[in-house]
Amino acid sequence: MTQTLAKHGWTLGLAALFAALLILTKMIQPDFGLSGLDSLGRAALPFAFATAAMTVVVLAGGIDLSVASMMAVASVTGARLMDGATETEAVWIVGFVLVVGLCMGAINGALIVFTRVPDIVVTLSMLFVWEGTALLILQGPEGGCAVWLTNLILGGLTLPLLPEGLTNWLPKSVVLVIVVLGVIWVPIRRSKLGLSIYAVGSDPLAAYRSGVSLGQTRIIAYALAGLLAALGGLSLTMSTGIGEPIPGPYLMASVAAVVLGGVALTGGKGGLMGPILAVFVLRLVRMDLTLLSVDPNVTTIIEGTIMVVVVMFGGLLALRGRIR
Amino acid sequence: MKKLLTATATLGLAFGLAGAAQAEGYKIGISNTVQGNGWREEMVCAMKAQALVSGKVESLNIAHRNTDAAGQLEDMRNLIQAGVNAIVVNPANADGINAAIKEATDAGIVVVAVDQAVTEPSAYILSNNQEQYAYLGAKWLFETMGGKGAVVYMRGAAGAGADNDRDAGFKRALAEFPEVTVAQETFTGWQQDQGKQQILDFIATGVPFEGIWTSGIDNVIVDALVESGAPLVPVVGADNAGFVGQLANTPGLVGAAVTNPGSVGGAGVALAIQILDGQKPASNTVLVDPSLWANNADDGKAQIAAAQNPNLDPEWPVSVSIPGWTTYSMDQIIACKGPGE
Repeated sequence: MTQTLAKHGWTLGLAALFAALLILTKMIQPDFGLSGLDSLGRAALPFAFATAAMTVVVLAGGIDLSVASMMAVASVTGARLMDGATETEAVWIVGFVLVVGLCMGAINGALIVFTRVPDIVVTLSMLFVWEGTALLILQGPEGGCAVWLTNLILGGLTLPLLPEGLTNWLPKSVVLVIVVLGVIWVPIRRSKLGLSIYAVGSDPLAAYRSGVSLGQTRIIAYALAGLLAALGGLSLTMSTGIGEPIPGPYLMASVAAVVLGGVALTGGKGGLMGPILAVFVLRLVRMDLTLLSVDPNVTTIIEGTIMVVVVMFGGLLALRGRIR
Repeated sequence: MKKLLTATATLGLAFGLAGAAQAEGYKIGISNTVQGNGWREEMVCAMKAQALVSGKVESLNIAHRNTDAAGQLEDMRNLIQAGVNAIVVNPANADGINAAIKEATDAGIVVVAVDQAVTEPSAYILSNNQEQYAYLGAKWLFETMGGKGAVVYMRGAAGAGADNDRDAGFKRALAEFPEVTVAQETFTGWQQDQGKQQILDFIATGVPFEGIWTSGIDNVIVDALVESGAPLVPVVGADNAGFVGQLANTPGLVGAAVTNPGSVGGAGVALAIQILDGQKPASNTVLVDPSLWANNADDGKAQIAAAQNPNLDPEWPVSVSIPGWTTYSMDQIIACKGPGE
């Protein structure tokens, strides 16, 4: 019990912080309720997928600066193909976009492994390459989105057999994040591949000597990041109904959530749960600042300060635990 | 933990009391997705100043940051949560934020889109006519060039809605002058440094050009021509204070400024208050048409002279007010203070 507590201390702390913020939000705005949770869930969606993508490569000891640009490529590809397509065709289009994401990520990974140019340089260059690609696919914000796809994130969850009141408070967007990330990440985490990703991230030499294929593991980690970024891009199209070729502010936000989520930027340490909780914490902070009508030029300062303080405080607690 | 709870409870109580103590008035939300650009900063200041002078606005909730349409959806939904009576929004693009606009108007919130149009029919639109903006300037430029020659076409940001509309207007004018060719097309990203570098690079190639059309990155282009000793060809820009100053004072420069008032934000707030007061406009859409001030015509010269104001930031448009809509003074918009500040 204490072992689990210690192991998941950071994640539990974030969950407590999130709960405290929810209470604070209810105090600031007594009307905060189901629609507020729904807004929060939908706002968190693209950030959650971008952060998941970043988490996987950081765990494998790398970094991917092209996350936001890959999201843009996925978003405009989906939006352009879905413009005028039928609902059933859209199913194939979603599959195609995910494959495109997987390929973009694999290209990133392969370039890093085979050219031996540092990951930060390769993905910085690819940031521009994918950005240009997105502009070639769509020159301006336009395109379409299938109705079933939009409905995936609209409103609260209703399940057959269960009474509506029991599940309706849970926004569909939050369920989508949990289900999709669970389906992708849990099997990987429990397989040899998951172990390899952590091993490569924490000590490449030891991993190599234990028989882990470094190159292959890295390429797979980047490909996974591409897949998750494509999901993020699709979630943008779901929310807006169109595709935007100019990448949104997801790169820095994903790095921030990874750090706040307790993942070591040096690799090999942390999980997916923490960063996703961090995304919700950061979105809720933004909502509270808007509710309080804080000067917009001050909000970014507050957001940054909160991050530094939380990470410092957490680090201090971890240090104290270790000494004891 | 107990201390924390008490502290948050006190904080909550304090906010509750503050809310109850304030006099009744409208609560207006503002959403903007470009931060740190002179035009947008003037727009936000116009919104604040108009809210202040109206005397009818209790507070402004301003969501003002660099983000995309998805981020603007988040901001608008947060404003809905904040319980505002109206939202004045400069949309990231025409279609991307329709979902949140619909949610707002369904909740009884008045939504006014300023500067750029949206396709959601429940919103009111008070927008600058961007297509006409580009057409007007380009037509003047091609006429001034004598209907022939090569033009440098310096656009805004690739993929932006306003840039697409302006491109349509530029192409419409170009089609009317078959002997005018585009020597070079660039995207300045509406960044001063980028635009200046691009024109300096182009001058260095030695390719001749007879005119320059800019999408509002204008004064640095004139600077570049003067500094590099290149021929002072006719230049079209926006009514930014720096460029309008050059039109009056740079010897040998022939140019024209096309108005694109950032104060449209203040007009949007005025319209929102009118609607909240129960006076609905006849049409959902009001287009603010641009006008052209050329320094080779008498009326243009007079308008340029009248617009000189040393107190204005050089990146701000000089048309700080829109007659019939905004009621604040020049000092009030420069002070940039909203209600309660």
